[in-house]
Amino acid sequence: MIKEKDHEIVFKYTCYRREDFSVCVGCKICASVCSVNDLALNVNPQELLLKLFVGEKIEDDHPLVRYCTSCYRCTAACPWQIRIPEVVRAVKESLGMESRFEKAFKKSLDIWGRVYEPFVVAMTALDLLRGGYIKYMPKWMGYAGFHLPHKVKRLKPTNASKGSNPSEEGRS
Amino acid sequence: MNILIIGGGISGISAAKVALGEKHDVTILESTSEPGGLMARIANCRVGFKTFFDEIRGKERLTVINDAKIAKADKKDKRFTVTLNDGRTLTADRVIIATGLTPYDPVEYKGKRVLTSLEYDAVIDQRQGELPADFNRIGFFLCVGSRSKDYPLCSSVCCSYTLREVKWTLQRAKPEITVFYNDLRFFGQEFYMEKAFRDAGVRFVRANSRYFEEDDEGVTVRYYAGGQLKEERFNYAVLAIGLRPNPQLAELGRMFGFSLNPYGFVNEEAPLQTDAEGVYVSGGALEPMNIKDSILTGFGAGYIAVKGQETLATTAGRDERLYREDEPEFALTDGDGATCLFYLGTDSPYNGIFYEFVSSRFIEAARDLRKAGKSVYVLTRNMVAPSYGEIAYEEARREGVVFVHLEEDETAAFDGNQVRIARQGRELTFNADKVIRFDDYAALFKDREFLSLYRSEPQIRWSPTKWGRRKYHVGFIRHPRDKRWEEREIFGALGEILLDREEERILPEVNEERCSGCGSCKDACPHSAIEMLIKERQLAIFGPVAAAGVPIAHVKEDTCVGCGLCASTCPSDVIAFVER
Repeated sequence: MIKEKDHEIVFKYTCYRREDFSVCVGCKICASVCSVNDLALNVNPQELLLKLFVGEKIEDDHPLVRYCTSCYRCTAACPWQIRIPEVVRAVKESLGMESRFEKAFKKSLDIWGRVYEPFVVAMTALDLLRGGYIKYMPKWMGYAGFHLPHKVKRLKPTNASKGSNPSEEGRS
Repeated sequence: MNILIIGGGISGISAAKVALGEKHDVTILESTSEPGGLMARIANCRVGFKTFFDEIRGKERLTVINDAKIAKADKKDKRFTVTLNDGRTLTADRVIIATGLTPYDPVEYKGKRVLTSLEYDAVIDQRQGELPADFNRIGFFLCVGSRSKDYPLCSSVCCSYTLREVKWTLQRAKPEITVFYNDLRFFGQEFYMEKAFRDAGVRFVRANSRYFEEDDEGVTVRYYAGGQLKEERFNYAVLAIGLRPNPQLAELGRMFGFSLNPYGFVNEEAPLQTDAEGVYVSGGALEPMNIKDSILTGFGAGYIAVKGQETLATTAGRDERLYREDEPEFALTDGDGATCLFYLGTDSPYNGIFYEFVSSRFIEAARDLRKAGKSVYVLTRNMVAPSYGEIAYEEARREGVVFVHLEEDETAAFDGNQVRIARQGRELTFNADKVIRFDDYAALFKDREFLSLYRSEPQIRWSPTKWGRRKYHVGFIRHPRDKRWEEREIFGALGEILLDREEERILPEVNEERCSGCGSCKDACPHSAIEMLIKERQLAIFGPVAAAGVPIAHVKEDTCVGCGLCASTCPSDVIAFVER
């Protein structure tokens, strides 16, 4: 029943070997400190590891796979210092969940051995544009405009005798 | 003969006892201001240490040097010359290393509300006055600073110690107690204590945490259990800290010429002996161990130091008072299938004492099967692999044996070759060609007198191997565990025999003519010192006289302690204490 082969790719993509993850003792300390859990998403990185060892399928909407920020808090707290973010990254890769940018970045490394910006931009421009840069442009232009001199609100001249709080007025 | 003992902890004192009893000169070097070591840092054990030490304190042949630090040690013609920092010079023929263990200091987590177990011990110490006002919710967290990358051994005592702290807490107040554990590594009777505490409302959660948010009122702790992340407030969080080797061992090793193993403990060449001649080792310098084992190894090291290596081969195991039983054959029929599943879990606290034995054998078997190329799963409810056992466990994990840890509320249902783990939010099904369960082996242990189970706690501490007056349990029957302990136990028992002095007793006598063989004395005896023998007796009931076998009570002299319960229970007054 074991399907180790299915997940070999995961271990291939990380610089670790399988045994470096399988030292996990199942204490679930990683879950207690995981920053994805700050979003109340109930993830348990240890279970992700177990799924790999047992050979269970990991869905691409697993919250850990989606939202892991690679903060390495789990690694710092883990008694065995297992680098779980690297597993998550490898899982993403094996599921084809990388962004176009990541793909372009790696491909550029494959071809030239360095990041060749024109290539990366060319590969990702369409995605960047479609993925929100244009759509949200008015919005972020607005944010930028907020800092222009004529947009910055000035405080009214304070009147000390009235005893009013200047900052409150300024805000209203 | 001069015997130098380095370390005035419980193990060093035990070794000194044996040596003093054999009329040798003993010098104890203690690095702090008074003997006691780690045991005397525990409030409830301090008294015990004192009574133990008082038996030899002030003896003529004993010298205790406090605040001692060794500057130099030379060896010439099998004699050690040791120079202390203050210029004093000592000579010794034999040296016993009993430096003990050093508690880990979790500086990264400690705070005013997050305490180490030793700090918490001072909080619940009766002699320190009242308990804090807010003492309603206490959380215990096991395995801090052990079983990790920088120290892969299990400290083997933190679980037991936590259980004692729970006990001492409940003796003084009734807070809500939660114990967060990875594995509950108890020994012997502690499984019964665990069950009693569970029934009394102590919560056990199989999860651990390193998320402690401390403020003035308490600690917020996050943990993941039952398929979801939970957040709880505790007044105090107690970290059960791991015990590590004494850092000074390395320097001592250079001076006396013995070597250390990669984990920082003394390399044990032969049982309780280092690889330097004339240097012996006991207690926490060997590996993390509890108090009764420290006493045992102390007795053992004292015995070897007194008797010398030459006599060892002839004496070991030949004393008729030593009682050992061979451990049961642990045959695992090797399955032909490709998948094997072990289930390491039992519900009965009686079987609990065999967790350690079965765990080590299961790990061994699982590793062998894995090496043969099979997929091996181990469902664990509790994996008891203390001290060096943890290394084998780690190796098994690295080799690819998959360990699935069952939480408290999870159940494993066996259906032929299918095993199903059910819980809210998790469903796992295994199809195994061969399923090996803990309970299949429980029958091997039935009806045996295990020392670790039947003796009550205080007794077992001070006489670690004694079962009866002429019976000292060693090996499997004393405590079912790893083989490296068996020879240590033999030496410990031999040391204990040297110490043992016969006390005057009066034994009850049975009037065999009148005994009806009802057996009520047998039931009453707390030490199982009464057996029912079948004896021939002439019977004449209506008619011809005939010989028949009738049961008659018989007092086993070796086990009887002369308490008198049998005499007071006997319905026909045939047992009596006869004055002479």
